[in-house]
Amino acid sequence: MDDIISVGRSNGKNGVRMVYLSSKSPSVPNLNEAFYGDFRRRISPERPQSHLSPTPLAEEQTNASLIDLYGDDENGKDENEPDDAEQEDGRNSELPVSPTLSPSVTTPAQGSNEEAPKDFSQYDRYGFKKQNAHITQEQYHEWWDEYSRYCIRRKRKWQDLLAKSGLALSDNDIPDRFPPRSEKLKRYVRKGIPAEWRGQAWWQFARGQEKLNRNKGVYDKLLASLNDRNDKVFSRDLEVIERDLHRTFPENIHFQKQPNDNEEPLMIQSLRRVLLAFSDYNPKIGYCQSMNFLAGLLLLFLDEEKTFWMLVIITSRYLPGVHNINLEGVNIDQGVLMLCVKEYLPDFWQRIVTKEQSRNYEFLYKLPPITLCTASWFMSCFVGIVPIETTLRIWDCLFYEESHVLFKMSLSILKICDQEVAAARRVMRNRVTNKDDSDIEIFQAIQSVPKKLLDPQTIFERVIFKRRLSLNNLNQEEIDRCRRYVSSQRLKLKNYADIMGDKPITKDSTKRDISIGPDFVENALSSEVYGFRRSLTTAHWNNSIKEKVRQIRRK
Amino acid sequence: MGNSISKVMVKMFGYREMKILMLGLDNAGKTTILYKLKLNKIKTSAPTVGFNVETVSFRNVKFNMWDVGGQDRLRPLWRHYFPATTALIFVLDSQDTERLNEAKEELYSIISDKEMEDVVLLVLANKQDLKGAMSPQKISDFLELKDHLNNQLWCVIGSNALTGQGLVEGLSWITNNTNAKDKK
Repeated sequence: MDDIISVGRSNGKNGVRMVYLSSKSPSVPNLNEAFYGDFRRRISPERPQSHLSPTPLAEEQTNASLIDLYGDDENGKDENEPDDAEQEDGRNSELPVSPTLSPSVTTPAQGSNEEAPKDFSQYDRYGFKKQNAHITQEQYHEWWDEYSRYCIRRKRKWQDLLAKSGLALSDNDIPDRFPPRSEKLKRYVRKGIPAEWRGQAWWQFARGQEKLNRNKGVYDKLLASLNDRNDKVFSRDLEVIERDLHRTFPENIHFQKQPNDNEEPLMIQSLRRVLLAFSDYNPKIGYCQSMNFLAGLLLLFLDEEKTFWMLVIITSRYLPGVHNINLEGVNIDQGVLMLCVKEYLPDFWQRIVTKEQSRNYEFLYKLPPITLCTASWFMSCFVGIVPIETTLRIWDCLFYEESHVLFKMSLSILKICDQEVAAARRVMRNRVTNKDDSDIEIFQAIQSVPKKLLDPQTIFERVIFKRRLSLNNLNQEEIDRCRRYVSSQRLKLKNYADIMGDKPITKDSTKRDISIGPDFVENALSSEVYGFRRSLTTAHWNNSIKEKVRQIRRK
Repeated sequence: MGNSISKVMVKMFGYREMKILMLGLDNAGKTTILYKLKLNKIKTSAPTVGFNVETVSFRNVKFNMWDVGGQDRLRPLWRHYFPATTALIFVLDSQDTERLNEAKEELYSIISDKEMEDVVLLVLANKQDLKGAMSPQKISDFLELKDHLNNQLWCVIGSNALTGQGLVEGLSWITNNTNAKDKK
C-alpha cells in the first residue's frame, strides 16, 4: 500500500507536471525510436532485418522498386473494388515484401531472461510476440507474408484516396485529416486503416478532437489533483490498477522493462496515469479490469491525453454502462447478443440453452453461461481475445461504424465455433451426450477459436464482405433499439425475481402468491417481446427487397 | 445411453468427471495454476476478464476446471456458475497479507451459498516461493475453517504455481475426498 501511494506522492505537483509533459509525446512513433532505434543499432548490420518494425510498411515503401511496382495499380478500380485484393494477388506475388526470415533465427527457450538480449524477430510491428500458445512462429510468418502485402496494397489505395480528396500527408507521413464520411471511406476502413495512421484515423472517426476541445485542460487538472484523492473508493481502484499494470501486455516489448534500464517502462507509467485519471474522472466506472487493455492498446497508437479521451468515448458512446460498477451495460449487451444469436444462429442457440429457457425471455435476465465469455469480448473490445491484427481491424470499424460491429463480429466468431463444435460432433458420432460435456466442448471452442483468428479476413469475410447475408441488416439502429428493449425487459424481470424469488416464470406463478395480481406476471411476460421479434422479422422480410434495391442502384 | 456408458466406466475403472471452480481474489494466480496443470507451462498471464476453462486429466478423473476473473466487480458475472460444482479451489496470494481479510470474507461469502453446501473445498496458499509468504498452517489458522465449516470437507495446501508444487497434491486430495460424495 505504501508502495502504491508513494508512486503518487513522489510526483509532487511539479513532478506530475514534469512526468506528464515528458510522456505527452505520441507513444508509438517515439517509442519506436526509443526502443526500435536502439534495437536496430544493436542488431548487427549483416543480419537481415528479420523483424518488421512497428512501421514496416512505411519503411518498405522507401524502397523505390516497391513503390514502382505499386504504381501499376489502376487507380480507377476502387469503384468496384471489393475484389481488388484478390485480383492483385497473383500479379504481385513476386514482391519481396515480407523480408524472409533468416533461418538462423530460432526461438529461445521459454521464460526468456530479462537480461538476455531480445530476439526482435519474435515481435510484430506493434511489439507483440508473434508466437503464442495458439499460433506458431511458422504459422505467423506464413500468414504475414501474405497479409503484409495486402497491407501495403491497402496503404497505396489510401494514399490515392487522400490525394484525390486533396489531403496532404504531414512531414511524418501521417495524414492530418481523413476525408469526410462516405460509403467509399467506410469500405476502406473495413479493409483496414494503414497501421501507422490508425491513431489519427481513430481519433478523427471517434470525433476525439471535439471532445478534447470541449474539455481543454481537464486531463492536466485530473493528473494534478490525483494526489489529493485519498477516499476509500479511489484508493481501492488505485490498488487494483497497480496490480494490473504489469499484467497488461506483459509480452509486448513496449510494456517490458528494458535490460539495463531501472526505470519503469514509459508505457506503464502512461497507463497508470490514464487509468487513475479516468477512475477519478468517472467514479461510476472507476476502474474495471479490461480497461487496462483498452488503454494499453490505445497508448500504442495515441498519446496519453488522447488515449484518455478515447477511453472516455469508448466507455460512454460505444459501450455505455459496460464498465460500470454494476456491469448492467455489459449484461444488457449480452442480452442483446443472445437475442441476435437466437435470431441469426438458431442452431447454435439450441446448443446453448434449453427449450425451456428459450421459450420465455428469462434468458435476458438469467443470461446463458456463454455470456460469461462473450461479456469479456465486449468489455475489452476483443483485445487479447483475437490476435492483434484482427483486433485492430475490428477497432477500425468500431470507431467508424460504432458498436454494432462488435455484435456482428461476435456472431461471426460464434458461427465459426458452432461449425467447429458440429464438426467435432460428427467425428465423435454423438459421443457427447451429457450436458456437462457438451457445455465444456462449446466453452472450449468459444475460448480457443478466437485466439486462432490470425487472419482478419476469416471473420470479415463472413460478416462484412459477404453480401446477401441477413446479418448485414444488423445495424446500429437495430442494436440501439435492442439495447433499450433488453434494458427495460431486464428491469421487469428483476422486479419479478425480487418479489417471486427464483421461481421460473409461468402462467400459474400467481397461484403461489395471491397478493400478486395477474397483471404483474403479465408484465413480466411482457408482450413487448413480440414487438421486438416482429421488428427483427421485418428486417428479414425486407431483406430481399433491400438487396434488389441495392442491385438496381449498382446498375 | 452415454450416461449408462459413463456409469459402467465409473464402475469398471473408477473413471469420473468433475466440475471444479477455481476462485480467489484478483492476482492470486488462478490462471497461472490452471495452465501449469494443463500445459505444464507458465503462461504470462493477464487479468482474466471472462474465464478460462480447461479439462485436466489426472489418474482416472477428468477435471473440468473453471477459472474466473477475480476482480470484485466481475464476481456477479460468474455467480450462476455454482450449480453442480464438485470441488472449489480457492486460491490465495500468501504474500498479500493485507488482503487476507478480504480473501477470507470472499471465501465465506462463496461457501455460504446454498449451491456450495456439498462442495469439497481446497484452499491453495499460493505464491509460497515469495519472500514473506505466510505458511499454509498460518493461513489455515487465519481462515478458521475448523470452527466455521460443518458440511464441507476442506484442506489448505501450500502451492507455487511456477514450479507446480502443491498442485498435484491438491488434485489428489480432491480425488481422494470426493469418492464418497460422488452422487453419479
